[in-house]
Amino acid sequence: MVEFIFGLVCIVGLLVLALLAFVAYYYNRIIVLSNRIDNAWSQIDVQLKKRADLVPNLVETVKGYMKHEKDAIKMVTDARAKMMGAGTVEEKMKAHGELTRALKTILALAENYPQLRASENFRLLQEQLEGIESKIAYARQFYNDSVLSYNNMISTIPGVWFAGFMGKTPRKYFEIEEEERESVKVKFEE
Amino acid sequence: MEKVSFYDQIEKNKRDSLLLMLGVFVFLLAFAWLIGELYDPAVAFLFLFIALIITLLHIFISYNYGDIIVLSSVNARPADEREHIYLINTVEGLAIAAGIPTPKVYVIDSPEMNAFATGKDPQHASIAVTTGLLENLNRKELEGVIGHEMSHIKNYDIRFATLVAVLVGIVAIMSHMLLRTYRFGGGRRDSRKGEMGVIILIGFLLAILAPVFTRLVQAMISRKREYLADAGSAELTRYPEGLASALEKIKNINTGKMPVSEAVSHLFFVDPTRTALDSMFATHPPIEKRIEILRSM
Repeated sequence: MVEFIFGLVCIVGLLVLALLAFVAYYYNRIIVLSNRIDNAWSQIDVQLKKRADLVPNLVETVKGYMKHEKDAIKMVTDARAKMMGAGTVEEKMKAHGELTRALKTILALAENYPQLRASENFRLLQEQLEGIESKIAYARQFYNDSVLSYNNMISTIPGVWFAGFMGKTPRKYFEIEEEERESVKVKFEE
Repeated sequence: MEKVSFYDQIEKNKRDSLLLMLGVFVFLLAFAWLIGELYDPAVAFLFLFIALIITLLHIFISYNYGDIIVLSSVNARPADEREHIYLINTVEGLAIAAGIPTPKVYVIDSPEMNAFATGKDPQHASIAVTTGLLENLNRKELEGVIGHEMSHIKNYDIRFATLVAVLVGIVAIMSHMLLRTYRFGGGRRDSRKGEMGVIILIGFLLAILAPVFTRLVQAMISRKREYLADAGSAELTRYPEGLASALEKIKNINTGKMPVSEAVSHLFFVDPTRTALDSMFATHPPIEKRIEILRSM
């Protein structure tokens, strides 16, 4: 009898331990995945800020050469102002799209100014901007990958049971706006 | 599924690295003990003690500073923030894509197109690229090559590959470096005769032993990790054609005569000392095969 009770206690104890390990694993996994998204977002944020910081420098360099492109320059400074003022993730994503378009336009216009293109300062700025642009693209890719693994985790069994208790809901992807995907059309007037 | 195999690869590399360090430890101590016993059993214990200190030091240095030894053995210099901004940006971008810290970036002056990564983990990693590679590739192609190296870093291939190079291949690396300084350092003819004699003797000994250790290194390296890193690169850049086109250029331009020690050649993107030839001792898969796989993705 004693042996039976002892055996039973052992089995129950093992089962409880296994259950605890199971819970701990999935709890931690969900936390890790959700932290990874926040970390991925901060990577994007860093690059967005770096790019916004380059804009005044670009405007300063370009102003002297592109006297007839006041509108394009204003578009860039406006987009930058919006970027700096953006608080939430959604606002930042929207401002990012606008700044990207404005910068593409001005860089495309710069093709018409050989003197500007020849300037060392401009070339360095252009390289930096292109570098940041591709870093933002890669950061967005990593962000979306992180969102995908997190969303998969909390919408499949057994993650979905934990998500309910932990109050975790699916996260949004960082989509690019349709307009941004289109190539920039530059008009040659006069 | 692929995520699982990725973590498996990390675990395997960590385990292999540990086994390699243990193996070298046991082998060197057994060797010292044998020499001591043969020489004079009375001092065998002292021999063992000295060997223990040297072996521990060798393993400690190989593990923590192996990357520095490898980088200096191929004459890599840190990338310049202005001159190589394009390269630095590319490395930063792919590090972001891989979700690891940005590795240190180095440049090797050589017309040959090649690259490698080294270090003990993603937090202590370096990427080196030849000037030939920078001059001949466009952005997409360079991203493909850097993506390949980033994938080696992320799955800890660099830890095992660097340990093999330094822990096992150190004799070959030293022999190569000595040869190089001796060949190119011409201006030191006036040094004392005795000193020269010792250096020549050491060089002679190293040169005899070097091939044995190079073969050992080559036997430990599996070609499979190159295919895996190619696939990893395609996953990071989402554009396998970039890497395929880079490999095609390399196949046409490289002469396979880059002056690096054979003990570190397995670290490189393509074999620096051989052309696309397939051989029994090849540490790299044939370039055509890699292109074919990338194009079928």
